[in-house]
Amino acid sequence: MSRTSVGRAATTIAIAVAATMTTACGGGGGDAGDGRVRLSVGVFSDFGYDRLLEEYQAAHPGVEVEQRKVKMEQHHTQLATQLAGGRGAADVVAIEEGNIAQFRQSKDRFVNLADYGAKDLASQWAPWKWNQGTTDDGDFVLGLGTDMGSLAICYRRDLFEAAGLPADRDAVGALWPTWADFQATADRFTAATPNVKFVDAAQNVYKAVLDQTEEGYFAKDDSYIADRNPKVADAFGLAASLGEKRQTSALTPFSQDWNVALKQASFATTTCPAWALALIKAGAGDEAAGKWDVATAPGGGGNWGGSFLAVPRQGGHPREAYELAKWLTAPEQQKRIFKETGNLPSEPAAYQDPEVTSTVNEYFNQAPVGRIFGDSAENLKPTYRGSKDSKVTPVFNNALNRVETGKQSTSDSLAQALREARDAVK
Amino acid sequence: MTVAPARRGTGTRRPVPPPHTGRPSWRDRLGRLDTRFTPYLIVAPFFVVFGVFGLYPLLSTAWMSLHDWQLIDGAQAFVGLDNFRELLADRNFWNALGNTLSLFLLSTVPQLVAALGLAALLDRGLRGRAFWRAGVLLPNVISVAAVALVFAQLYGRDFGIVNHLLGLVGVDPVDWRAETWASHLAISSMVMWRWTGYNALIYLAAMQSVPKDMYESALLDGASRWRVFWSITVPGIRPTILFTVIVSTIGGMQLFVEPQLFDPGGTATGTGGTDRQFQTLVMYLYEKGFRLFDAGYSSAIAWVLFLLILVVALVNFTLTRRIASKG
Repeated sequence: MSRTSVGRAATTIAIAVAATMTTACGGGGGDAGDGRVRLSVGVFSDFGYDRLLEEYQAAHPGVEVEQRKVKMEQHHTQLATQLAGGRGAADVVAIEEGNIAQFRQSKDRFVNLADYGAKDLASQWAPWKWNQGTTDDGDFVLGLGTDMGSLAICYRRDLFEAAGLPADRDAVGALWPTWADFQATADRFTAATPNVKFVDAAQNVYKAVLDQTEEGYFAKDDSYIADRNPKVADAFGLAASLGEKRQTSALTPFSQDWNVALKQASFATTTCPAWALALIKAGAGDEAAGKWDVATAPGGGGNWGGSFLAVPRQGGHPREAYELAKWLTAPEQQKRIFKETGNLPSEPAAYQDPEVTSTVNEYFNQAPVGRIFGDSAENLKPTYRGSKDSKVTPVFNNALNRVETGKQSTSDSLAQALREARDAVK
Repeated sequence: MTVAPARRGTGTRRPVPPPHTGRPSWRDRLGRLDTRFTPYLIVAPFFVVFGVFGLYPLLSTAWMSLHDWQLIDGAQAFVGLDNFRELLADRNFWNALGNTLSLFLLSTVPQLVAALGLAALLDRGLRGRAFWRAGVLLPNVISVAAVALVFAQLYGRDFGIVNHLLGLVGVDPVDWRAETWASHLAISSMVMWRWTGYNALIYLAAMQSVPKDMYESALLDGASRWRVFWSITVPGIRPTILFTVIVSTIGGMQLFVEPQLFDPGGTATGTGGTDRQFQTLVMYLYEKGFRLFDAGYSSAIAWVLFLLILVVALVNFTLTRRIASKG
């Protein structure tokens, strides 16, 4: 009795300890017992990799690839904690454009892809896209570009017709060569149909306007300039005026309420980067097929979103990981992803390819999205993203929402935002 | 097992030596060690787990709070109490503290009172008792994320059911997320929905151990049900009430998922409303640590929260003990 009870207690402890030790989250990398290299790819929402990864494994019998999909909002936080903890990150991780500047600060945690010859690939990408993925004047290659988000405006044809506006996409694009024209169109729309909102959220308009400037919150030397950059105040003023006139639905883009509002057709336009088409289609549902259409954005092109593939240093197979990232971001694969998911290629060889430019989107009333987004990509002047951009952006979005919901005047709200942003960057 | 035959092999008939004289055999020693240490070994797993998941993070958080500590890049510099000093001057911190206390009071007080009433009802002979008792626990076993999503829709500004119902009685639609008081009410309702049944079951279990003859004699003496409830039931379950108050205090001060998911920005950009009108302390901690990557500051918030919970729990403990013993 005595011996068995001691033994039992010891076993219990051993199990408890072992359990605590082994429950650490499944790390990236590692090798299968059969000597094959096991890689993991960490992405958010839909990168269109399902079929491509199967093909890659078929072509590389020595490599096994596992895909991990997380919601976008969790993806970057999770990646940050994995980098901090030194384990758990996938071998190849996706980083979104709005977040990459932040991770650039911690480049030590990533493999410099230039070590594996990434610089030879530079000419594949639009130069600005390549530059966003690099640091140290191009010596450190942090990530290889996947898609990009050149901008257009999506609008509901039936709501435009009801307001006595043209519904044809070229005519709609001609309504708003500038953002002031966009505001004027909003006024016409509201005068005719006051119960329907013209645009989903002031923050979307604000982002679109601000992303057409070369410098937004930060100058190119990464210094904080939001409080003396007139472009910030101008963009804020334009978006806020839509909010003050109650021409916006005051929604948080891509939220649950945003989806409901899409379904209920309660707003007529939204800014749409290429990747947003799939979200609009999912939210509005089949009954709205053919009712949405795509027109050019005021003020020429702009970029919103798009991602990069990077290789965290903690993984065990940097070379194999790099090879995989290189293959996934090559023009041939980008073209296929575009056809499958609508994510716009960031490489001229892909987005200028007739296969891409001739693509129409059936759901969006047969809109020639390949041509619209491709043209927009050509004119694109990317805005500089500071390393603390992602800390500042929500502050201004909140401020615009306060104006839209009538909680604050434009000037008070902007003043509060500038104060909070100052705190966020210090 | 191997010792016994060897002894027999000596051929002499020796009496078993008394335990206190001479060198005790290894078996005796083991027996003594057993009675002495086995209890410790048996409780040890808890402490091992607590050490790994409780004490270690606690101490490491304390260490981090004394540094300028970036989430990914680690310690930058030792800054002493600077993080705490900054925290005390941080208006967002005081705002979050106020929200936390307001949400705690709004959700806990009605919740425990309702649970007490619910338990009293369940304690009476209802038809299908098991059904009702299991039923009140249902909200608690549903994932909090699912509850938050459903409530977020109920409280939708443009197409929510609550606003629709209010509209039927002529009340203007409420922007449940934009208004401070409205958002607090909505979030409290979520917390109450989840925890009232749980507390009711705990009260119910305690009520059943109150001696029935006390009720009988009280009723014989002509006491009303109301009087019996306050004079016999409530004092009878006093320790349980204390327990639920302490547990709800800890839970309420750490309120996070419900308000975070109530914010349409979710965990990505949600700051508890566009003016932080329903940002709780843990939400602020999360924002600082995991969105702004300022782990040092975030750790300081965690420690202040820890101390606050201790204080509030102590205050509640004293208050509740006094109130409950009055009956």
